[in-house]
Amino acid sequence: MSSVSFRRLEKSYGSLRIVKGIDLEIADREFVVLVGPSGCGKSTTLRMLAGLESISGGEIRIGEKVVNKLPPRERDIAMVFQDYALYPHKTVYENMAFSLKVRGVAADEIKARITQAAEMLGIGQLLERRPSQLSGGQRQRVAMGRAIVRRPQVFLFDEPLSNLDAKLRGQVRTEIKRLHQAIGTTIIYVTHDQVEAMTLADRIVILKGGEIEQVGTPDEVYNSPASIFVGGFIGSPAMNFAKGVVQSGEIVFDGGEHLPLHRNGAGKANGLEGREVVVGIRPEHFVSAGEGQPLSGRVQVVEPLGSDTLIHFALGSATLTARVAPEMRPQPGEILSIGVDPSRIHLFDAATERALN
Amino acid sequence: MATASETTLVSAPAEGATKWWTRFLDPSERTLAVLLLLPAAFLLALIIVYPVGRLVWTSFQNLSLTSGLPATFAGLENYALMLDDPVFWETTWNTILITLITVPGALVVGMILALMANLPFETKWPTRLSLLIPWALPLSFAGLIFAWFFHSEYGVVNDVLRRLGFEGVIWFNSANWAFAAICLTIVWKTSSFMALIILAGLQTIPRSLYEAAEVDGAGRIRQFFEITLPLLKPAIVVALIFRTITALQTFDIPYTMTRGGPGTSTATLAMYIHQNTVDFLDLGYGSALAVVMFLLSMGVTVVYLRMIRAKG
Ligand SMILES: Nc1ncnc2c1ncn2[C@@H]1O[C@H](COP(=O)(O)OP(=O)(O)OP(=O)(O)O)[C@@H](O)[C@H]1O
Ligand SMILES: [Mg+2]
Repeated sequence: MSSVSFRRLEKSYGSLRIVKGIDLEIADREFVVLVGPSGCGKSTTLRMLAGLESISGGEIRIGEKVVNKLPPRERDIAMVFQDYALYPHKTVYENMAFSLKVRGVAADEIKARITQAAEMLGIGQLLERRPSQLSGGQRQRVAMGRAIVRRPQVFLFDEPLSNLDAKLRGQVRTEIKRLHQAIGTTIIYVTHDQVEAMTLADRIVILKGGEIEQVGTPDEVYNSPASIFVGGFIGSPAMNFAKGVVQSGEIVFDGGEHLPLHRNGAGKANGLEGREVVVGIRPEHFVSAGEGQPLSGRVQVVEPLGSDTLIHFALGSATLTARVAPEMRPQPGEILSIGVDPSRIHLFDAATERALN
Repeated sequence: MATASETTLVSAPAEGATKWWTRFLDPSERTLAVLLLLPAAFLLALIIVYPVGRLVWTSFQNLSLTSGLPATFAGLENYALMLDDPVFWETTWNTILITLITVPGALVVGMILALMANLPFETKWPTRLSLLIPWALPLSFAGLIFAWFFHSEYGVVNDVLRRLGFEGVIWFNSANWAFAAICLTIVWKTSSFMALIILAGLQTIPRSLYEAAEVDGAGRIRQFFEITLPLLKPAIVVALIFRTITALQTFDIPYTMTRGGPGTSTATLAMYIHQNTVDFLDLGYGSALAVVMFLLSMGVTVVYLRMIRAKG
């Protein structure tokens, strides 16, 4: 088990910069999730750590050792690939045994480790099968088993759940979390699914265009997003954004609706007078009309979900989504009166898109 | 899973009563089936069943255009003749020897070429083109070119040998050297075909398997034996089937390089068939020889197919 650190890590293909200087310290036994939209450089970063991709600049350390020039087999990492990359001509047992055999581990030790890992993952009865005779979920487990038996310093996962259906994904997600609690090895996990990131991570690293947008615990990135991008990326349904201008301690939206700006004390508001801001409100932070600050707008679409109802309504030129109690069923076209918990409003600078805190 | 659901979809409506043969018993479907199969069956009969049948029939006949028509039925006479014919045995042995040498030879050289062509070069076309050229070249051209290479006075091979301080070899005067020259030429000519099939096979192996193996700690050589080779097996067997059958039919290269000489020491079965039918006009005996070659090819194919099936 080991810590991992990236120092000004860069990757370019020719003149094309893909990873633009990543600084990140990952503690021993930590579960870190790299998340971001497609093409932001998550896989590239992970593959540089694995040694499958060369490093264009900066430094990667595993433990105290700089591994920039080491081939993958000398980095003592194990990786679970998106397509699992199981050896199709080997049985499950042989797949799991391969890395140990290569490293010259004794046969009975190999057997003991595989038995233990297979039991942990519930694949004991599959050991003699070939990958083609397994379901997607079973393959996924075998791929994890192959990584576990190695007892590496660090586990790397590259979108390991993306080939599973929604139900199985939730199930395996829980298993991965349990696995981490059981063996405690440092895990670096890549996904573009914010739910996976929120549920699994000790810390989430949000990447955008090859740069770190924010690093923090799931609570931190949910409660204090550092930018409009993070606010919109984390949370589902996504955070609502509406443009407004600060005028005498209030945010005035373009339709004339306004919200008082007394978040974090009135002192902050002074510096903002006249500034263009973007207000972020999560759908789940709307409250009933009597509580909080009132807002109103015309209802456009109502989506009953059973557990709650999503109401899409207009606020000036913006469309907001509110998640409210299931009993609430306004009709489209009605004027909706709803409240906002002012302590949960996020303010961003309209120009820099960074949080104003 | 896909196939399973497809099968259910197809057989679902009539609950198993839609086996193809039950539909075949239905007169309205039967007419259509026969009509649809007829062109293919006719073509197959025309280009395979009839010629092979005719060949076998001729092999049971005394049909030599030099001793006059009509042909008479000879039973197994042609086959009995073969057993006492030293040239038949020599050419058959030569054919088998060529097969045993050039098929593995082309496999090894072809494998090396394919691995080289599969290297991540920036520009791939030079290697790919140089693979295609020997393959696209007609066999007899290759024979003629290499006949010049091995020419005792003007050939490049002897020139190189002399420059290196060795004595030149009069290649086509010695049975062994002539045989070696022929085998070398065949390997050169046919390894590119092997390489093309193996290259196609190589490109079906996902890159992530090599990455997984690398992370698992396997070096290059280990990756070759543990991943590349086992996953190439189907491609290799296909290449071997094609190559072995054409090796058993070797004709053009020895024909253009040595005409089978010195004596009949480099003649193949195919050349002997050619000699009997085209030069001596003994169609009966020639056909019997051809039947032997046909059986040899069939035997090899059956063995390979068994191999594939055993691998599952
Ligand atoms: N060999 C290459 N040459 C040029 N550009 C490349 C190469 N490999 C990757 N890229 C580019 O690098 C960027 C980052 O790729 P990467 O695979 O890291 O994205 P990702 O964040 O993992 O996305 P996804 O969620 O789709 O997997 C992409 O824009 C991709 O086009
Ligand atoms: Mg990726």
